[in-house]
Amino acid sequence: MIDFSNLLDNLLLNSSKKKKIDFLSDYFQSQTQQNKIWALSILSKSFVNKLVKVKDIKELLKGKVDEDLFLYSYDYVGDLAETFSLLWPKDNSKIINSQSLSSFMSSLEKQTSKDDLIIFLTNHFSTCLPNEIYTTIKILLGGLRVGVSNELLKESLSKIGSRSKEEIEENWYGFSFPYNGFFEWLNGESLPKQFNSKDLFHSFMLSNPFNENLIKKIEIKNYTCEYKWDGIRGQITVSKNGKIYSRNGEDITSSFPELKIKSDKVSVLDGELVVKKENTIFSFNELQKRIGRKKVSKKILSDLPVHFICYDILFFNNLDVRKLPFFERRVFLQNYIKKLNHPNISISPLINFVSWSELRSIKENSFNNHIEGIMLKNKNSIYKSGRPALCWYKWKRDPFLEDFIIMYAQRGHGKRSSFYSDFTFGCWIENKINTLVPIGKAYSGFTNDELKKLDKWVRDNTLERFGPVRSVKPGLVVEIAFDNLNFSNRHKSGIALRFPRINRIRWDKPIEEVCILDDIKKLIN
Amino acid sequence: MKNWLIKKKSGLFCEPGNFYIDPIRPVDSALITHAHTDHARPNNKKILATKETINIMKIRYQDNYCKTKQQIKYGEKININGVHVKFVPAGHIIGSAQILLEYKGEKVIVSGDYKRRYDKTCQPFEINKCDTFITEATFALPVFNHPNDKIEVKKIIDSIKGNSDQVHLIGVYALGKCQRLICLLRDLGFDETIYLHGALLKISNYYETEEIDLGSLKNVTEIKDFKGGELVLCPPSALHDRWSQKFKNVIKGFVSGWMTIRQRIKQKNINLPIVISDHADWNELIDTVKEVSPENVLVTHGREEALLSFLKKKGYNCGSLNLLGFEDEDD
Repeated sequence: MIDFSNLLDNLLLNSSKKKKIDFLSDYFQSQTQQNKIWALSILSKSFVNKLVKVKDIKELLKGKVDEDLFLYSYDYVGDLAETFSLLWPKDNSKIINSQSLSSFMSSLEKQTSKDDLIIFLTNHFSTCLPNEIYTTIKILLGGLRVGVSNELLKESLSKIGSRSKEEIEENWYGFSFPYNGFFEWLNGESLPKQFNSKDLFHSFMLSNPFNENLIKKIEIKNYTCEYKWDGIRGQITVSKNGKIYSRNGEDITSSFPELKIKSDKVSVLDGELVVKKENTIFSFNELQKRIGRKKVSKKILSDLPVHFICYDILFFNNLDVRKLPFFERRVFLQNYIKKLNHPNISISPLINFVSWSELRSIKENSFNNHIEGIMLKNKNSIYKSGRPALCWYKWKRDPFLEDFIIMYAQRGHGKRSSFYSDFTFGCWIENKINTLVPIGKAYSGFTNDELKKLDKWVRDNTLERFGPVRSVKPGLVVEIAFDNLNFSNRHKSGIALRFPRINRIRWDKPIEEVCILDDIKKLIN
Repeated sequence: MKNWLIKKKSGLFCEPGNFYIDPIRPVDSALITHAHTDHARPNNKKILATKETINIMKIRYQDNYCKTKQQIKYGEKININGVHVKFVPAGHIIGSAQILLEYKGEKVIVSGDYKRRYDKTCQPFEINKCDTFITEATFALPVFNHPNDKIEVKKIIDSIKGNSDQVHLIGVYALGKCQRLICLLRDLGFDETIYLHGALLKISNYYETEEIDLGSLKNVTEIKDFKGGELVLCPPSALHDRWSQKFKNVIKGFVSGWMTIRQRIKQKNINLPIVISDHADWNELIDTVKEVSPENVLVTHGREEALLSFLKKKGYNCGSLNLLGFEDEDD
């Protein structure tokens, strides 16, 4: 297990992609089949423990470490696994030689109840090094945060066998733990017999952000324009089983039963999930109520019916159309949607334009609570996973910019641990300028130098501490950028901002000049 | 501590003695615990400190180091307007001192920064009894248990052996950490020339005049082309500065108590973290308070809350002094 611990540390401490790939491929080349299988399932996040949660891990320290000291430590370190591993009482006489990752994982899997697992962990922690405790907790709670995406993993695996990254990509979602035949296939053997290629998720084609410099570089007549709908990206697989996948390839069929379509022929559609009722698309907040449900009640089905706006087609009745150019796929898509004639599925319309200035005005006037801007797609682009250059561009509407006042601050996690980097901001409730109401939270948008200054400002202007949260003297104005806003009854202010981030820190701006809540509400159309 | 030692804007002030201790801005009269720049600042009118502290301030600030100076030896007693003052070793760096104050029968120790581990380059921390003990809290969280120095130093030697094609660029604080690290390396038999950034060389040369042997040292500028396998020490700030770009194919290390925490290592972009500190770790802080066994404990600069919470539960009368101006994140 120590090899795997070292791998995780090396991945965390080396941010270069090349080095990460080297570490990963070295690991996969040097380990036993069993270790490889486990490492792959942990790194690709397909291993999930359901027995113990954060709370149970914290519970393990009770009676061993003073609770306040744990809280201060956790607040400072900013990572539960690391805090835990440094606080767990060490007894050097009990430490035994590290076992292999696979033998540890198989004993872990044998624990079928939470109580058994807790006993197992207590014994395990008392016999291993802090690094292994850290690794164990990371494995159990997920969230390795070592900067390894599935893309990087696929690229590393393409270095150790005879399969290209594209081949691995294509079959990636057909393999799952215990990856029977996977490493053999990497080495050139054929796909295992039971391999099911029918219902496979296919990685999405994604877009690059548009910037004004591209106007000179790209030929406008080669591009089409569509709205960028503000929902969640989804993939409908029409097949014997009928599946819906999220952007990460997660099976979300049970949350959206309206879109489950069975057929003997396989077709795959790429599009956006939104909530739409009687020709009105609802805001993203409403869609959130549909996400993550295992069962959907009749009431929800009728109150918040889901709708799929199709962008593209990957398979048309068993025919792989991904290598065809966009404009030809579009014809297949139109035919397919027309024949399907499904009340909850429509096609994302193309918008006519002739000039860049026209496009710009389409983008800026697309203000609506379910449109984020526009998409430009190269008519000749094939469907390719990832973000291929010169193919698709997203051109988001300029964000809203408003000044707000910092009210609370909390220390960040991960690479921002120990810095006060999570800010709650607000504005005045009324013209009297004496009471603030929190509007939202922002975690990003500042440079490292600004982060240091913000951190110092928080420390110097703290009013009160509530656990990890500090309330601060109203005194610092920040300009917040956000993509959209809507009414919301979940928030005290009655409004919710979409993706707020700090655009500028207004060190010099007096807090009296910040707007009142009603001004913000007026922005909602 | 009664009303004769108070916190002012410029720092900790002794009223009857009319002097400050480690003031953060220029004052008429200052007692200096040690020569680190956040404790020893320039332009005070009069300073009282150990010989080493004064000498290093002179090297660093030249003409601005003070107007007049007075040297004090460890253990020597001085009476300033009825306040008895004594400096005793703090074990932090060369010449570092705890300052003992006694006024009308009441004893206070301002311990400055301190550590309890063996350090060849300075005298060890001395336990003294007092009524009020003022302690630092740089590493006052139970997650900090500094490992054995030798094991940590060996990591540098092993890394040089294992990666002989790479230059090892190691960040160390110019005063104290640098020379302690060199001594530890020499004790483990590392005899190669060590290349130093100019800022480090100046202070290291001073150590040699104090008869601390550091072996063969050279200024980085003496070599044009580093081939790999060399050990270069520089201030932490230079690790990611333009200065360090002249080294190609480099492993970056940092020697600090903060290197216990992975995310600190990542934040500082370090490949070779070495946990050696000139401050007491959690257990050493607690043991020191126990050994000094004061009636009152005041905690300053660092993670005060955790230490206060612990001491309160143990029945100590304690509070936060919260002196500003000390570099929290520096070791």
